[in-house]
Amino acid sequence: MYKWLDERLDLTGLYQKVLRKAFPVHHSFFLGEITLFAFIVLVLTGIFLTLNYEPSIREVKLPDGRAVPAAYGSVLYIDSLPFGAVIRSLHHWSAHVMIAAAFLHMLRILLSGAYKKPRELNYLVGLGLLGLAVVTAFTGYALPYDNYAVTATRIGYGIANSIPWIGGALAQVMFGGEFPGSEKSIPRLFSLHVLWLPLLLMGLIGLHLVIMIKQKHTQPRYAERIAPGKILGVPMYPQQMVMMLILFALYVGIMAMIAGAFLAHPIEAFGPPTPNTPAVKPDWYFLWIYGILQLIPSSWEFRLFGATIGPEFIGGAVVPGILAVVGLLLPFVDTRKDKMRYMELPSEHPVRTSAVLALLVFFLMASLAGYKIDFQQQGYLLGNTAVLWTLVLGAPLLTFFLTYVLMRIFYGEKEKKALE
Amino acid sequence: MDEREIRLRQSRRRLFLKTAIGTGIGLSLVSAFYVGASLRPKAEVTPEKEPLKPGDILVYAQGGGEPKPIRLEELKPGDPFVLAYPMDPKTKVVKSGEAKNTVLVARYLPEELSPEVAQHAIEGAVAYSAVCTHLGCIISQWVAEKKAGLCPCHGGVYDLAHGAKVVAGPPPRPVPQLPLKVEDGVLVAAGEFLGEVGVKAESGFCRHV
Repeated sequence: MYKWLDERLDLTGLYQKVLRKAFPVHHSFFLGEITLFAFIVLVLTGIFLTLNYEPSIREVKLPDGRAVPAAYGSVLYIDSLPFGAVIRSLHHWSAHVMIAAAFLHMLRILLSGAYKKPRELNYLVGLGLLGLAVVTAFTGYALPYDNYAVTATRIGYGIANSIPWIGGALAQVMFGGEFPGSEKSIPRLFSLHVLWLPLLLMGLIGLHLVIMIKQKHTQPRYAERIAPGKILGVPMYPQQMVMMLILFALYVGIMAMIAGAFLAHPIEAFGPPTPNTPAVKPDWYFLWIYGILQLIPSSWEFRLFGATIGPEFIGGAVVPGILAVVGLLLPFVDTRKDKMRYMELPSEHPVRTSAVLALLVFFLMASLAGYKIDFQQQGYLLGNTAVLWTLVLGAPLLTFFLTYVLMRIFYGEKEKKALE
Repeated sequence: MDEREIRLRQSRRRLFLKTAIGTGIGLSLVSAFYVGASLRPKAEVTPEKEPLKPGDILVYAQGGGEPKPIRLEELKPGDPFVLAYPMDPKTKVVKSGEAKNTVLVARYLPEELSPEVAQHAIEGAVAYSAVCTHLGCIISQWVAEKKAGLCPCHGGVYDLAHGAKVVAGPPPRPVPQLPLKVEDGVLVAAGEFLGEVGVKAESGFCRHV
C-alpha cells in the first residue's frame, strides 16, 4: 500500500522534506499549538452549530407560545439537542482559549525577541491573526440574538460608527445596516462569522505555518550551549506528532469537561431582546477597551475636517490603534543584529521585559476600570475616576521602573561576570 | 544591461501592453467599487420603522400582548421612568422596529422641573429619547437617590428634571426632550424630539430608495 502510494505521490520525498522538520522542545513552544487546536475545535463545533442555526430575526412562535426572533429560537433548539448545549458551550469556551493562547504566544515572542529579522513577516502575520481572531469572535457574539448579546454588539456598532469619515460606511457594511434594527444584520454577521473570516483565518494560519517551516523555529537557549550552530529538536514525525496528538486529546478532554460543567452564555436566562438594557460586560479581551471608555470624559470631543472626533472613538479606536501601530513597527525599530537564531532570555533585556510587563499591567488596570460602575454602586474608592486614572497611567509606569531596577540588581551582576 | 534588454525597455510595444493592462485593472477596480457599494444595505422603511410623528400615542414598550397606552395617572412622581414606543393613532401600528423611537417617560413634581423642561412637560410628566448619546444603548435604569436615568452600558447618568443634563459618565450631550400633551387621559407626543436622537447624524450614510 505504502509502496503503491509512494510510487505515485513520492511520499518519501515529502517525508524527508517536511516530516523530518525539527521541532525544538520547550514548554513555551506549545502556546501556538494550543491556539491551533482551539481553532480546529472551533471549526468542528461551528459546523454542528451552523447546521442547526437560523440566521434571521423574523418572529417565530415557540412551542410554549412565546414569539421570539428566529435566531434566538434556533439557539434554544440547539440547546435542547442531546449535547447541543455542551457543543455550543465548547465553541464559546474555545473562542476564549484561542484568543488567550494567541495572546500568550505573542507575549512569548515579544519577551524572547523572536520577532526580529528574519522573522518580521511572520510576526506581522501573527499580529494579524490575533486581531482577526478577536474580530471573528466579535461577529459571532450577536448570533444568539439574546438581550445580552444584542446590547454588547450595539456598543461595538457604536464604536465602529464613531470612526471619523469612514465609520458610518464601515459599520453599515459590517453590520448590514443599523444595529439593532436592520433585518440584514444577522445574515451579514452570520456569513462573516461562519464563512469569510474563518476562510481568511485558515489562509493566514497556513501562511504562518509555511513561513515558520521555511524559516525554521527560533532555537531555545540550551541549543546554543549543547550544539552551537546546529538545529536541535525532535522530528515532526513521529515524535512531535505524538506529542501534538496527546496535547490535542488533552485539550479536547479538558475543554469538554469545562464546557459541560460551566455552560457559557445561558441565553435562556438572558431572554430575547427587549428595550430594557441589561448591565452588560464585554468578554474579558474587550474589558480593557470598555474600561477606557468609562474613564474618558464626554468633554474630549472636537471637530476635524468635518468629522467629529468623540470620546468613544478615542477610547474605542485610538488607544488600541496606537498599541497596534507600536506592535507593527516593533521589528523595524528593534533591529539589533544579535541572537537572530536563538531565543533571547528576558533577563538579558531589561528594557524590553519591563515594557512588556508594563503593558500587561496596563491591560489589567484598564480592565479593572471596566468595573467602575460596580465599584461605585458598592461605594468603593475604586469607583472614583481619578483613582482609576492614576492606576491606569501610574501602575504601568511604576511597574516599568520597578522591574527595570530589580532586573538590573539581580541580573546586572551576572552580566558583568559573563563579560569578564 | 545587454543590448537586447535596452531595446526591450525602449520598445513601444512593451509600453503599449503595460498601459493597456494598467488601464484594464484600473477600470475593473473602479467598477468593482460601484458593485461593492451595494454592501451597504438599502434603507427600507416599513410602517413599524417610521420615525415618531407629532400626535403619536405613547404605549408601554414592555409587557407584551396588546399595545397599552400610558395613562397620566398611572405615573407617580418619584417612581422609576417607563420605556415607551410611539403608536400611530390611525393605523395602531406600534413603531418598535426602530430603536431610535424608544422614549422614556418620567414624572416629577411640577416644581422639581427646571422652567425650560416644564414648558414641554405635562403635569410633571416629561419624556425624552431613551437612546444614550454615547454609544446608542437604551437608558433603562432608574437611580432613585438622584432621580436620574442611568445607561448601564457605560454608566452615563442623565438628570431628567433638568433637561437630561449629563451628571456622570461619558455621554457627550443630553438626550433630546419630547414635548408631551394629554388626550383622553393618554400621553401623546406634542411634537418632534427637540434635538438629534442617538449618537450622531447617520441619515447621510444610508441610501434611500
